Amino acid sequence: MSGRRTAFEIYWEILVFCRTPQSFTGIINRCDLNSKTGQEYLGFLVAKEYLVEVAEGDKTRYISTERAGEYTALFSSLYRKLFDTAPRFKL
Amino acid sequence: MHESALVQFRSEIRHFYLIAVANIVFAALVMAFGISVLVGQAVSMYETFSTALYVIYSPVILLIALVAALTGFSWLLTGVRVFEGIKTIKDDLDEKGREVSDEALTRLIVRMLSHYRDNRAIIRTMIVVCTLGGVSSFLLGILGSLEFLSVSTDGIVFTLNNYLVIPFMLLALGVALVSLTSSCYFSRFAKVWDERIGKIEESEALLKETLERDRR
Repeated sequence: MSGRRTAFEIYWEILVFCRTPQSFTGIINRCDLNSKTGQEYLGFLVAKEYLVEVAEGDKTRYISTERAGEYTALFSSLYRKLFDTAPRFKL
Repeated sequence: MHESALVQFRSEIRHFYLIAVANIVFAALVMAFGISVLVGQAVSMYETFSTALYVIYSPVILLIALVAALTGFSWLLTGVRVFEGIKTIKDDLDEKGREVSDEALTRLIVRMLSHYRDNRAIIRTMIVVCTLGGVSSFLLGILGSLEFLSVSTDGIVFTLNNYLVIPFMLLALGVALVSLTSSCYFSRFAKVWDERIGKIEESEALLKETLERDRR
């Protein structure tokens, strides 16, 4: 997903993607981030315990924790609510 | 809640897709209209200087046609950019069929918001361009087909140049009508999505609070 997104949208995208273990490269490719910003987002989520690092052989993978569920559920409900209430666009 | 959000999102995407298509078609028509007049004027210029001045070209019409061709071209390019984004989202939504998971719907909403943020300035420009294009087309359609116009206290009397100009006039009026309608829908679409972006900004405080809550 590319384009102009808010930090909260990027956090949601990372947390949903990391429901299954993902590598750093996989995450930045999927979320269309560069290494520097990717590192910042992952650093924040790991510090807040929404993501944990898991060692798989010589590779490090990231996986969402249970705490992430509360944020992703709230995010989804807020975004879907935009289409449940006015304003609405139609021809 | 999910069902109604999905129905509304799907309907908005389809409607905006139709407007984007209409916008491209009429940008192409404006460009073609400008080019055809340019070619006609080029022939007139050649005849003006090569024959006994029976035909006189009009620099004003030449300039207007040039502006129409260039505006149509740039309108077409920007229209295609907006169209491509909405087409990708619509295709992905259609591909998922009737059953769309919460996560997939949220992802599509985020993509559409992101597409709107990226093209917000272009959409605002299109509202202005469509309005100007509509008004210009309307005036060109009327002026180009009038031979005589008299406005007096008794009423308005006008004579058409030739019955052959009626199709041209109808085309110009059609372009004008669709441009103005397109502008109206673009502005309604922008108003709705601006309000949604406003609502998201309001709810960011709640997201931030949830994200930064320390439970240790």
